[in-house]
Amino acid sequence: MRPDLERQAAPASGENSVADVLIVGSGASGSVAAARLAGAGFRVICLEQGDWVHTADYMSATPEAELAWVQRWNPDPVARRNPADYPLTGEADVRPVMYNGVGGGLVQWAAMWQPLLASDFKVRSLDGVADDWPITWAELADQYGRVARDLSVSGLADDPALPEMAAYPNPPVPIGKVGMAAARGMDRLGWHWWPGANAIASRRHGALQACQRRGTCMTGCPENAKATPSLTHWPRALAAGARLVTGARVAEIPLDDRGRAIGAAYLDSDGVEHLQRARVVVLAANAVGTARLLLLSASARFPDGLANSSGLVGRRLMQHPYRTVTAVCEESLESWQGPWGQNIYSLQFAETHPDRDFVRGAKWMVMPHGGPMFAVGEYHDAHRLAGFEALWGENFHRAAAEVFGHAFAWGIQAEDLPEEHNRVILDDEVCDSSGLPAARIEYRLSENARRMLDFNVARAVEAAEAAGATSVMVRGLWPTGIGHVLGTTRMGDDPATSVVDRWCRSHDVPNLYVIDGGVFVTGGSANPTATIMANALRVTEHMIDERSSQEVPL
Amino acid sequence: MSAPSPTAAQRSVLAGLADVLIAEGCGMPAASRVGVAGELLDRCLEAAPVLAAPLLALLDEAPSDAADAYVRCLAADRPDDFAVLSTVVVGAYYLSPQVRDLIGYPGQEPSPLTVAAEPDYLDMLERVYERHPGYREAP
Repeated sequence: MRPDLERQAAPASGENSVADVLIVGSGASGSVAAARLAGAGFRVICLEQGDWVHTADYMSATPEAELAWVQRWNPDPVARRNPADYPLTGEADVRPVMYNGVGGGLVQWAAMWQPLLASDFKVRSLDGVADDWPITWAELADQYGRVARDLSVSGLADDPALPEMAAYPNPPVPIGKVGMAAARGMDRLGWHWWPGANAIASRRHGALQACQRRGTCMTGCPENAKATPSLTHWPRALAAGARLVTGARVAEIPLDDRGRAIGAAYLDSDGVEHLQRARVVVLAANAVGTARLLLLSASARFPDGLANSSGLVGRRLMQHPYRTVTAVCEESLESWQGPWGQNIYSLQFAETHPDRDFVRGAKWMVMPHGGPMFAVGEYHDAHRLAGFEALWGENFHRAAAEVFGHAFAWGIQAEDLPEEHNRVILDDEVCDSSGLPAARIEYRLSENARRMLDFNVARAVEAAEAAGATSVMVRGLWPTGIGHVLGTTRMGDDPATSVVDRWCRSHDVPNLYVIDGGVFVTGGSANPTATIMANALRVTEHMIDERSSQEVPL
Repeated sequence: MSAPSPTAAQRSVLAGLADVLIAEGCGMPAASRVGVAGELLDRCLEAAPVLAAPLLALLDEAPSDAADAYVRCLAADRPDDFAVLSTVVVGAYYLSPQVRDLIGYPGQEPSPLTVAAEPDYLDMLERVYERHPGYREAP
């Protein structure tokens, strides 16, 4: 450990004394671990670089709700310009988006709740590509059900495309006119669809109020009807004694002389450096943030980054490349109304098919279409080659007249297979507001994903037409991602080809865990939060069960 | 530091530019008629402060007697600047209660949902169940 850090070490008692478990990141996975560990009597400290987000902070209940997307509640940290975010640099086909604050990415999410497919865990065995996970769907089945209850998920189990699972605690939110229009199209084609499961309460349940259909899920629910850890997990964790330190940007995970993590060095919002000691360190800062922190923690023992003897820290970044197909219908669909989760979804093309020129597949989900600014924006994007005259002046009003209230979107979410050249590294020049190197993203869309998207978009156009669309608008690859960052610290049984083991413990550092989406071996096509949280619960409970054999620093 | 509030002269320039983008037609009013250069502009910039400085720079630069040519120039050659101008004008326009009434948009207002005991899609869902081969097993 650096001598200057040693001097700043916390006292042996008091609020800064040694934690049993220190968690970095308060989002999907960190909040699960904190609530479970604190409930089991562990002394838990969580360091979060952002601040609390309060319901009153949202703009969703104001007439300016659509303008929230421009800056303050834009999912892209580059547009948002919040000092708690760290810069994301690099030339990438898809640039990650995220939120840094209490709740992490679950502050700004659409709350779509989607377990992985059974086949997602064994793609090497089944399809001869990528790698198998060291665990199976069945090993997460119980946890899928338990985290769904914690998040008051509304949905309908028994989807034949998925293994048997526990019933969701709430009935699905109504699929609305939007969902009915899309479902009729799928019915005509004989394709799979299912009412969407969402971490949005269709009735008052647990910490959540009933959804009021504002349609502002992505920019924050002013009704507290959408699950986010500041509602569903942190009250429980704090009541059980966990401590959450906000404005704490972790700079390094220092080690003792025997190679065990001793806690975290962090900078507070005034730039003052602290050392929080801990017996066990759990990283839950998402696949970009955790990889960045491990790379920042390079030392003489780990010159290429902490826990990086495999050389895979930061590599195999996966993001779910995304496109949309918007159906414009004659009938009014009231499509500004929410919830803006998934009205319905389809797994019709989610599995490998021998007749296609790509492997694996995509998940589709239907969403509402927002207010008039969205309608105009999408219309203009679709008709960008039509020229100024066609879009502005007197013709400006055509966009709203044709699209607003009459459209729904099929989101096409492609499985992104792991490739080592897609990675997170440290930027040599750009730093965050604390002076730490930014995360540089190197990401190229694979030919397999490009073919997969093209095929699925073509099918989605057919689905839109079958739904009665009078016109269809197709968007290209979204250059900013959809907040799904996975794979940079993959789990596996072999230390040469993975960063953490099946229990998400570092192969190299015995008291260091990673529990965020970085541990995904492959990405599947499902929205990842259900699996991130279920896996975090699985790993945390194993940690608790094996507490007596856990190696800790002296 | 936040950008200063637009001056009367800047608002006047914006009104001219805004009407190039959103003219009267299809039963809808022109942008300046609903006040996009007035209070709606202030609300728009308060909601998205990042737009203020680049917008004011454009308004200072724009010629007072050639709004149409200037806006078309931005659209053709300066996409980032055009995005700032058009976002402000469109955003402010749809804040107008008059415009919202005309297009039938109540805003993102609460509307309690009703969960039906038997949703009207059950027959379609039954067909999904009947035709699906079942999930793909993994070893």
